[in-house]
Amino acid sequence: MGVVVKKVELSWLDRTYVWPVMKGMGITFQHFLKQLFTPTAKRYTIQYPDMKKEMPEGYRGLHELKRFEDGAIKCVACFMCQEACPARCISIEAEEFSDLNITQGFEEKRPAKFSIDMLRCIYCGMCEEACPKDAIWLRKDYEVAAYDRLSLLYGKWDLMNTYTATDGKERIAQDPTPSVPRRTIAL
Amino acid sequence: MDKLASLLHTSPAIAWMVAKLVIVFAGVFSLAAVWTWVERRGSAMIQDRIGPNRAALFGKIKIIGLAQPLADGIKFFFKEDLVPHDANKGLFWLAPFLALVPALMGFAVIPFGRSFVSGGQEYHLALLDPGNGMGLLYPLAIGGMAVYGVLVAAWSSNNKWSILGGMRSSAAMVSYEIGMSLAVVALFMRAGGYDPSEIITAQGGTLWKVLPNWNIFHQPLGFIVFFTCMFAETNRLPFDFAEGESEIVAGFNTEYGSMKFSLLALSEYCHLMTASALMATLYFGGWQVPFVQDPSVMLSVLSFLVKMLFFAWVFVWIRWTLPRFRYDQLMHLGWKAMLPMSMVNLVFHAWRMSQGH
Ligand code: SF4
Ligand code: SF4
Repeated sequence: MGVVVKKVELSWLDRTYVWPVMKGMGITFQHFLKQLFTPTAKRYTIQYPDMKKEMPEGYRGLHELKRFEDGAIKCVACFMCQEACPARCISIEAEEFSDLNITQGFEEKRPAKFSIDMLRCIYCGMCEEACPKDAIWLRKDYEVAAYDRLSLLYGKWDLMNTYTATDGKERIAQDPTPSVPRRTIAL
Repeated sequence: MDKLASLLHTSPAIAWMVAKLVIVFAGVFSLAAVWTWVERRGSAMIQDRIGPNRAALFGKIKIIGLAQPLADGIKFFFKEDLVPHDANKGLFWLAPFLALVPALMGFAVIPFGRSFVSGGQEYHLALLDPGNGMGLLYPLAIGGMAVYGVLVAAWSSNNKWSILGGMRSSAAMVSYEIGMSLAVVALFMRAGGYDPSEIITAQGGTLWKVLPNWNIFHQPLGFIVFFTCMFAETNRLPFDFAEGESEIVAGFNTEYGSMKFSLLALSEYCHLMTASALMATLYFGGWQVPFVQDPSVMLSVLSFLVKMLFFAWVFVWIRWTLPRFRYDQLMHLGWKAMLPMSMVNLVFHAWRMSQGH
């Protein structure tokens, strides 16, 4: 079926071509002046290394492994995230420990090693969804880059410290209590 | 000047000539280089972007990105200089110069300030002194040569896109040249001579006491024709058929790289400068300052520069406003609109002059 194309009737002024060109130049010049007198901070362009975009709520960026106030890791090494991860990039090694003096003590299990291969991670957030303890969060940092592959294999301590600077927390590199296998307790 | 000349063991005339050469060519060249930056920044601003603002001298002094042309130049020098295997090597090398030289040569007759007398000697602020017998026919003739640069570049690189571009630009050339020349002839009639200094002198004073006595107010139709033709002549949007990026890759300079490409690009900007200078001279009174009877030399040079740079900016401005024409549309425009318009303009002014106006 043919479509009837409606012809636009141009006025004689428009058909001179000079007047429409001047109108167009007026529009571009308005944009020019507007951009010229807009302070850098308010322009559309975010000049990246100097300025950074504030990511929206619910953005899925670099992970953080959460901790309690006393520095104990929230993760109980339940492997739920490892199972949920579609990219299979989480690998966990669990260990036993027990110390009822600290918050996490009664859980009796924690990761000895916890690593995420950031090169394989697709930032889908499944690990965050799956975690029963709310121990792994995807937060707003999007600057995940490095010079070699190995340094993007984030280990337990890397993941626990990813947002220390942002939150003003101190870096930790050690669990508050050493690992104690159950049978030594039983003895 | 006399002292300098005796220091160099030459006559003042020769020293002055050399000084003028350096000033004009270095000036036009560096303005053209700066204009690549103006173009990029201006287009960015027009499109609500920011443009190149990061190139810094010694990594510190940013000055709103003005070091960009310098950085580009250095980059171009260090790039590999490839010549395509099946290209015509000699012509391929020659083409950038063929493009650049006419673009610069057109500037030679244009007076960029008023002449002055010092120490019993008259100094003219134009490379060729007035009364050289070529006058403004010379830039028109040289402008006609400019197409050879494009055509030779296109032909010698043995690339189909390039040949399409070159063919388009030579086809376009035929259609606008006549209209342009006729528009200028009407100016010659008004000034009673074709020497730029005569044309500028004819534009002194005021018109009806409120307007400067510039040719644009006498011959607006001629100005529109000439202005349009200048866009076609400089190969810039809306008439940049020779290098239609979206349809024929980069047209005539597809095969060019490194410094040869940069020369081609620079020649476009030199051409732009020459065209703006021509427009300022022909229609906007050259170095005449509106409402000032006898401007000082400095003021006249400044006035000329302001006019020229304004038109150079208009070139940039139009480029980022209008889309490209099809090239049959330019021919349509050239033969069926601009040629009749400039003829009407010519006949009308001839009639007016015969009536004694
Ligand atoms: S965000 Fe997705 S891919 Fe990345 S570790 Fe979590 S579950 Fe795996
Ligand atoms: S991060 Fe959460 S889901 Fe993953 S092992 Fe630890 S507690 Fe389980």
